[in-house]
Amino acid sequence: MNDTNEILSVDERSKGSTTVFGFWLYLMTDLVLFASLFAVFAVLRGPAFGGASMGNMFSLPYVLVETIVLLSSSFACGIALLCARAGSIRGALAWLSATFVLGAIFVGMEVSEFSSLIAQGDGPSKNGFLSSYFTLVGTHGTHVAIGLLWLLILIVAMLQRGLTHGNMRKLALFAMFWHFLEIVWIFIFTIVYLTGSL
Amino acid sequence: MKNYFEDIGALPRSHNVVAAYVVGFVLSLLLTLLAYALVVQNALPHQMLIAAIIAAALLQFIVQVYCFLHLDGQQGSRDRLIVFGFAALVVGILVSGSLWIMFSLNGRMMPDPAQMEQYMNNEGGF
Repeated sequence: MNDTNEILSVDERSKGSTTVFGFWLYLMTDLVLFASLFAVFAVLRGPAFGGASMGNMFSLPYVLVETIVLLSSSFACGIALLCARAGSIRGALAWLSATFVLGAIFVGMEVSEFSSLIAQGDGPSKNGFLSSYFTLVGTHGTHVAIGLLWLLILIVAMLQRGLTHGNMRKLALFAMFWHFLEIVWIFIFTIVYLTGSL
Repeated sequence: MKNYFEDIGALPRSHNVVAAYVVGFVLSLLLTLLAYALVVQNALPHQMLIAAIIAAALLQFIVQVYCFLHLDGQQGSRDRLIVFGFAALVVGILVSGSLWIMFSLNGRMMPDPAQMEQYMNNEGGF
């Protein structure tokens, strides 16, 4: 591992690229999952019986902060990848920690948004619109929460074994996953929150 | 080691990747703020406003797919790009198809009560 110009064995390279491609296939099926939830949301968003109306349900500035936090987390993750490529484990760990903290803030904000909605009686069982809203946004939030767990495990693995090929591969996959979740959020922000508040 | 991410296809070989991330981040931030400002200021007529923020979202989508996921069609990302194209097709059919079916159903399924009464009388019920 000390030789930074070490030539990869053919095995390691093809294993890595196959893994990246396979993980990409998983992400694309996940995209189809989100697309169907978006379709359900778009169908059920119309006038609903009872419950809050979309316009006064959300605080847009709050959601904007959430969006910027997740975007920054995605960016930090990309920089962590570049640090790892340059062989700097300290840089990679620092940026991954930033990724984790920002991701955790995002999940915390979402949980508090959900719990305040439920507390004021607008829970997922109130009407069809709220069911589809909680399912769509909650599925995304669950992905982010699972990603945080994955990131924690990755950080521990990097602390223990450093920048091994195995860890580099996991980091590359995690970065793809994290960027993917940020991309899904662009549409949640636009379609659920921005058009919802019009 | 140095080229590991390039070797497995997670980063492109040729262009400046640091710049790609910074440009992607700044553009995404600007597009997010632009869409937000348009909505908060209510700057455009309703239909145009919706078209504008969806256009901003699609633009941001392209920026992030290109800058963060490095799906630029170069060697190493081509396979992923093909699968991505197919997934986009499935997503397009799924979303537009669902909306088409559900909203045309809506229009056809709800006669008003008077029409319904007439139908029931003429046809002798369902």
